[in-house]
Amino acid sequence: MSDLIDQGEDSHPKMNRRRWLQGLGIAGTAGLAGCTGGDGTDSPTSTSTEPDPEATEPDTPTATERQELPERTGPYQRTIANAASTLNPLYNNVDGVGTLIGYTMDMGYTFMPGTEFLPQLYDLSSDNGEVWVAELRDNLMFGGEYERQVTAEDFVYQVQEIHQSSWAGTPDSPNWPTGEEGYNIEQTGELEFQIELPSSNVLYPESYEPLLYAIPKEIMEPYVAEEDSQGLQQDEDLLELTFTGNLGAYQLDEWNRGSAQIFSRNDDYYLRDATDVDPLFEEAPYFEGIESQVVQEEASRLGALETGESDVAGLPPNRVSEFQQMESVDVNITPTPFQSLITWNMRNNGWNTGPGNLFRDRSFRQGLACAVSKNQVVQGIYRGFADPAYTFQPEWSTFYPEDDSAIDQWGTGDLYGPEPARSRIRDAIEDTDYSYDGQGRLLNPDGDQCTITLHHSASSNTNQSLAEFIAQEYEENAGIVVETTATQSSQFLTNYFQQEAPEGETEWNAGPFNRGPRDVTSAESWDMTVIYGYNTYPLNPTVSDVFFLQDGSTNPQGYYPQWDAEELYNQANNATSREELADAMVEIFVNLNQAQPIGMLTFSSNTIGYAADIEGPIEDFFSGWDFPAWYRED
Amino acid sequence: MGMEWYIVRRVAWAAIVTFIIVSITWGLMMAAPNPNVQQAVTQAALAGDDPEAAAERAEERLGLDRPAHERYLDYVVGIYTFHWGWSESRNQPVTVALLQALYYTAQYSVPWTILTILIGPIVGLYSAANQYSWKDHVATGFAFFGYAIPNFFFGIILLLIFGVTLEWIPVIYQTDVPVFSLANVNQLAVPVFVLVTGSIGGIMRVSRNESAEYVNADFVKTARAKGVSTYKIYFQHILRPTMVPLSTTMVSQLLALFTGASLLVEVVFSIPGLGTTLYRAITAQDTSLVLGSTLFFTFIATIGNLLQDLVYTMLDPRISFEDR
Repeated sequence: MSDLIDQGEDSHPKMNRRRWLQGLGIAGTAGLAGCTGGDGTDSPTSTSTEPDPEATEPDTPTATERQELPERTGPYQRTIANAASTLNPLYNNVDGVGTLIGYTMDMGYTFMPGTEFLPQLYDLSSDNGEVWVAELRDNLMFGGEYERQVTAEDFVYQVQEIHQSSWAGTPDSPNWPTGEEGYNIEQTGELEFQIELPSSNVLYPESYEPLLYAIPKEIMEPYVAEEDSQGLQQDEDLLELTFTGNLGAYQLDEWNRGSAQIFSRNDDYYLRDATDVDPLFEEAPYFEGIESQVVQEEASRLGALETGESDVAGLPPNRVSEFQQMESVDVNITPTPFQSLITWNMRNNGWNTGPGNLFRDRSFRQGLACAVSKNQVVQGIYRGFADPAYTFQPEWSTFYPEDDSAIDQWGTGDLYGPEPARSRIRDAIEDTDYSYDGQGRLLNPDGDQCTITLHHSASSNTNQSLAEFIAQEYEENAGIVVETTATQSSQFLTNYFQQEAPEGETEWNAGPFNRGPRDVTSAESWDMTVIYGYNTYPLNPTVSDVFFLQDGSTNPQGYYPQWDAEELYNQANNATSREELADAMVEIFVNLNQAQPIGMLTFSSNTIGYAADIEGPIEDFFSGWDFPAWYRED
Repeated sequence: MGMEWYIVRRVAWAAIVTFIIVSITWGLMMAAPNPNVQQAVTQAALAGDDPEAAAERAEERLGLDRPAHERYLDYVVGIYTFHWGWSESRNQPVTVALLQALYYTAQYSVPWTILTILIGPIVGLYSAANQYSWKDHVATGFAFFGYAIPNFFFGIILLLIFGVTLEWIPVIYQTDVPVFSLANVNQLAVPVFVLVTGSIGGIMRVSRNESAEYVNADFVKTARAKGVSTYKIYFQHILRPTMVPLSTTMVSQLLALFTGASLLVEVVFSIPGLGTTLYRAITAQDTSLVLGSTLFFTFIATIGNLLQDLVYTMLDPRISFEDR
């Protein structure tokens, strides 16, 4: 697996196939709202201000408060930068396209502000975290040629015959492992099925792994019989979403490849009858339809928002203040879980400026963390649309340590500047032949100033600016010369991040990004990079073990924790209650704050412009969970 | 043995050229790494699976494990039976994708071509008739401006002025308006204007220079002496011989713009035509659609050349089919 994201300004943090569903936690909530409408949202370059405690509840007045429900109005109009290549829910792995599919059919469940679970198609519950029972709503209906009630059999069949098959190759298949450590899914009633995990996982819903679409068994059967993956991918009903019945707030009327998707309002939307959601859903949706147009040119997308032809557009940071001045547009700044960071290479082909790799020393890393001003990164590089990062979790996460004093704020206040940086580096080099000269330059044993390289993305100006700023700060505050070099991200992944396959057995081999101990190295030497950022998974941070365990699958930098990471992650992974899990995670994040295994810099925000008369969007990670209840103010 | 035989030979040659180009394109695409296989390998690597096994599975699934000649033969047979494959990036048959795109491209290409053919030579002729006067300079300046300014940039500027600031035209191209409607004229006016200004420059200059040769020619003087009207002199005695060399420029320029500049204009104005379809197919490495589009553009180019030759012979009676 990989949890890497490009830190480039021109690319949205892309989901890999295993994580794209988890990504819905980010994109889906925002995406349901149509926020993935433009490239502008694709830049991890925006800012959030302090987490807004008020924003944990939707600011849309509820039906009870307003006495009467909103009027229906014309269509919700949005633009997307790239045309969808498929709307087949079994094979889509693009988050923005998931939004389009989501208009016509909800997935199993979602989360509301405050990480509150909302059962959509099914509820999920477990006594011990090992066996999860899914209970379907009883009013879910397929439509078109497949008109009938949705049953548990449809989900079980989909998992067993498609995702757990060897031929279908769906993006979701890694979520449904088979074999000894596999997941066992069984139908236990007409509207009930259960998933048995090999071990307890109290955050299983938050992992998004059990998130499924309802697909009629009859559509899948012929392809299962023939093991015809191509046929399944090209099936007309799946591509044109003809079977969605009452499963979504809208129905797909027209998919004009390359130009537009037109949806019309669904009068039979199943959540209208639900008593466990906002009363606003009683008459939802309130738009007559949705018109989603493909507009590749950013200037045109922004122009459309300005003239009212579009109700939403992602805003590039340099245009945010301009749109904030407009009466016709409301700008939302929503936090993301993506962390921008510096990766230090602790393997044997890193720190090429003298004997002994200083990145391996915790005190040295802390010194480097003090050398870069996070506030200046936020203001100067991300134009104020980001938050400083001190540990591997955003502050709004429920797993962030409540006791702030346990988290040192490296790179801000007293912990920023030449003195805190050099004092920690001096501690690190105390017993070595490295030294500082009278001019504050860090000298290697040969008496030369230490010079290291920093790779940045060749296709991102923001990433390049970040690298240049870091180089300047390291030289000024730590006395280390940094040479920046532009590299294509895919080339970096192959030649630098992935290690070459070692000859013979190694102590561990966790895949291409961690094939073994530090003497197992990549094809090319490297010191530092800012090309990739990491997803911090605030809903289910237990998966961060892949970055910070010695044998974690995404540990290309060769970090060896000097705290009991394995034990703490074990505690978290085997916890039987959320409290137990949270205790372990908080301890992990305090340790990560001290260890600084990577140079944690900022958490980016999305900046999204909405037409001012649209009621519903909130400045929260979970904005968009209630998109069917959004409406246009009279 | 006259024009019919000439057309048959030209069409046959066009078919051969098309075949060669398609074969070369197929060869180049096949030599490039297959994106689906690459994707499978990357995903396997990221998931910690065996990339080589993933590549093998993907090749098997895509039929790439078969000998190249079999795949080539299948492809060629498919081309001539209109089975141009399945577009992976649009999930529909390639022929359907191209027809859908052509529907939108034709809506602006037809008026653009007609206007270019009409306006370009007339402006050139006007310039030639008023050589070195302020009118000539204005016409030349206009032509050079349109020729020099990049179409996509000009398009964005006009879109911002007329779409965003003045709100006279829609910023987003609407696919659902009827073809023959004022709304469609309104949304296509600016892209057509951008393309026309971009394409008349070269045509205007050639027609001006060629016309200038004839303005003071003996046969023109004779016609004037005989009392032939000015309009007749310009349109019949000067424009006709001018059109012979001009037709070559016109076809090649329109073809170049059709495949190049129109693509950028389609991207700027969000027109889902052939240009954007080809562009997206290339960026998505959608082999079938790239090949289909290439075939289509090759077809257009060969037909264009054929028409050019035919127009040439019609405009210049001295050209004989027998000599060819």
